[in-house]
Amino acid sequence: MPRIRMLLLGLALSSCLTTVAMAVDLTVGSSTEPAAIDPHFSRSGNSQQIAAQVFNRLVEPDENLQIQPGLAVSWENLDELTWEVKLREGVTFHDGSPFTAEDVVFSLERADEIPNSPAPFTANVAPIAAMEIVDPLTIRFTTTKPTPQFMELAGLVFIVSKAAAEGASIEAFNSGEAAIGTGPYKFASWTPGDRYTLVRNDDYWGKAPQFENVTYRLMSNSAARVAALLAGDVDLIDAVPPGDIATLEASDGVQLHTTASGRIIYLGLDSARDESPFVTGPDGALLNPNPLKDVRVREAMSKMIDRQLLIDRVLSGAGTPAGQLAPAGLGGHAVSLQPDQIDIEAAKALLAEAGLPDGFGITIHSSNDRFPGDGDVAQALGQLFQRGGLTVNGVVTQPYNVYATAAGKQEFSAFIFSFGTTTPSAAPGMTNVLMTFDEAAGTGSFNRMRYSNPEYDAAMRAALAEFDPATRNRLLEIAAEIAFHDYAILPLYWPEVTWASREGIGYIANTSEDTLATYASVTE
Amino acid sequence: MTVFILRRLLQSVGVLFATSIIVFLGVFAIGNPADILIAADATQAERQAAIVSLGLDRPLLEQYWIFLSNALQGDLGRSFVFNQPAIGLILARLPATLELAFVALFIALAAGIPLGLIAGLKPQTIVDETIMTGSILGFSLPNFWQGMMLIMIFSVWLGWLPAGGRGETVQVLGISTSLLSWDGIAHLILPATNLALFNLALVIRLTRTGVREIMPLDFIKFARAKGLTERRIVLVHVLKNIMIPVVTVVGMEFGSIIAFAVVTETIFSWPGIGKLLIDSIMLLDRPVVVSYLLVVVFMFIVINLLVDIAYSLLDPRIRLRDSQ
Repeated sequence: MPRIRMLLLGLALSSCLTTVAMAVDLTVGSSTEPAAIDPHFSRSGNSQQIAAQVFNRLVEPDENLQIQPGLAVSWENLDELTWEVKLREGVTFHDGSPFTAEDVVFSLERADEIPNSPAPFTANVAPIAAMEIVDPLTIRFTTTKPTPQFMELAGLVFIVSKAAAEGASIEAFNSGEAAIGTGPYKFASWTPGDRYTLVRNDDYWGKAPQFENVTYRLMSNSAARVAALLAGDVDLIDAVPPGDIATLEASDGVQLHTTASGRIIYLGLDSARDESPFVTGPDGALLNPNPLKDVRVREAMSKMIDRQLLIDRVLSGAGTPAGQLAPAGLGGHAVSLQPDQIDIEAAKALLAEAGLPDGFGITIHSSNDRFPGDGDVAQALGQLFQRGGLTVNGVVTQPYNVYATAAGKQEFSAFIFSFGTTTPSAAPGMTNVLMTFDEAAGTGSFNRMRYSNPEYDAAMRAALAEFDPATRNRLLEIAAEIAFHDYAILPLYWPEVTWASREGIGYIANTSEDTLATYASVTE
Repeated sequence: MTVFILRRLLQSVGVLFATSIIVFLGVFAIGNPADILIAADATQAERQAAIVSLGLDRPLLEQYWIFLSNALQGDLGRSFVFNQPAIGLILARLPATLELAFVALFIALAAGIPLGLIAGLKPQTIVDETIMTGSILGFSLPNFWQGMMLIMIFSVWLGWLPAGGRGETVQVLGISTSLLSWDGIAHLILPATNLALFNLALVIRLTRTGVREIMPLDFIKFARAKGLTERRIVLVHVLKNIMIPVVTVVGMEFGSIIAFAVVTETIFSWPGIGKLLIDSIMLLDRPVVVSYLLVVVFMFIVINLLVDIAYSLLDPRIRLRDSQ
């Protein structure tokens, strides 16, 4: 309660003294915890959330994941292999030292040298062949090969202070000693498992941060987050579970902020092998050839799925039916690719045409703790396929740590997975999930279906080599049309993500699923 | 007695060694940490580099050998997730869990023994019935649900106590405790009560049964005949005799409270080791899981030892000896 009282006091003061900055604090109930404060240690979302407030990048993603100038004010190609980047003038680090090109070069060199990092920024800096400091605010980059997405890669690496971070251990970052950035908030403290705190950077170069002190309380349990918000312990919570949305909507003094996420939930089909471990004939023996190799069978399965029903019943409506990987608003979203409507007659006709009028036996696998409703979605899919004419031999759900390993070893036939896009276009997902599995070329690392279509691969390579962003997005759309007309995966839905806040606190719901103090605001 | 303690501690080395093998193999059987830890959009090259740097490309036997030889030098490895020494992560969170467990145990004993005594001394009365029915609730209601109800009633509706998290802590001799500030205590009340309820019910029942068994015995009659006050009979003679089962069970339960406080810690966002363990299992953070279980096994060994010593203090007839 005192926080709210302070807030009201702040509001009252601000109405008479509009020029005086308000001393308002923000307490967030956060579902995730960073692995480390060193922004280069892990590229995963939970670690980036704190980094995105303490540090800046050359370009900053906005709430729709499109990149905007950050520490770089402009960038241009001098030729296919050379990029010249102009840096922002007059930016200082939290310790008062000036930001220069030296810090950028240091940060980009450091990004792939972090020991024992499970998710390093290696790929982001891999294209860099050489960096040349032209003057303190200009850097000329040379790339190893033409890299149109250069700013989406190197531009998204956090810039640390060379003076503070040189030779600093992970412990020095966690204590705050080396965690010196240029971002809107300064790092104050981290008590693992409990909370981390930030304080306002009054000298921030961009839009002035609104909150004096920001406390992230770490609450992995969703019921605990909802209770803390209702009890007034926190002002804002993230990852509101779909089942609690109705309760919160009915509560006084609570606001919900919802947007579609960049995460696709899909059903992968083991479509490359002659025999798939869970595809059986009427006698229970494995079918050879594996019917999932036949695009007509995959299309038939897609037409058995009532996506809207699935979303309404399992997710309390918190999702958007999907017909492709990229949601609207991201590069690579093709308007022509609409989600399949349920059409059991057409599905049966397709199965008959493929020589399987009586269907076949299949088992569906899923994780049960990865994203809200994953186990229930698998159950619902099982019923939909049974109704559509297949023989569902079982629905098996497992904890993600067991499931992910087995799926990576291709132990399943039909399996539910998700892929979250955090870049302006869907290119990473379309490369890692749908392109041919090829360790040498670095494509298809999450292609657990082992789907392989040379036409699609060629279309993707053309898109990835294109420098003009608009043309690149159009080429990505063409590639998406090839893959989804071929039913490479069966897209199910894009879940909605929801934040809830106390009255008086506004929040910009964002596609990247970040819970940042910079997206929160004091409202009248 | 010294020989007994020394021998027990030596045996514990063997137990710890066996635990390390079982847990190491167990985590290996669940899955490959690389599939969980490495970023979803990592390229093949990044994946390979991460696997090599975590040492996951080596054969299992070699990984275990490296672990064992480091462990003998006191290094239990670095967490895959946090890249910090695993034992450091555990010891940093242990005080929070110990504090919660001690307060829960205190509540269970401070409320459970008097209630059990009252129920046992006045059997078949309305007081007895009320206490015993209440204790059934403590046994049968799921811990998770109890916790949510405590939050709903005391935080959301009444607004008396915070809904979760650890309050202000004060450093005493390098250990942070929340027992020395009102904010800290306010945050501690609900989770400690939640954790105490099951054991409270257990202590009530053990105490009541003990009292009912002992009251008709000859030595109580003798004490009465000797003219001792009822107060002295109950507080000295009865209490001392019912303490052995209570100490045994509470000793075992204390280990469980520490090791498995995870439900309470999750509901109340308490930054203890239970939460760390669950997160580490989910992420297959093997060094942390192995270190945690080694610490817990060691703790159980020490608690058992203390329980045995407490026996001999409570009942001088018991001699501490290994059964040959």
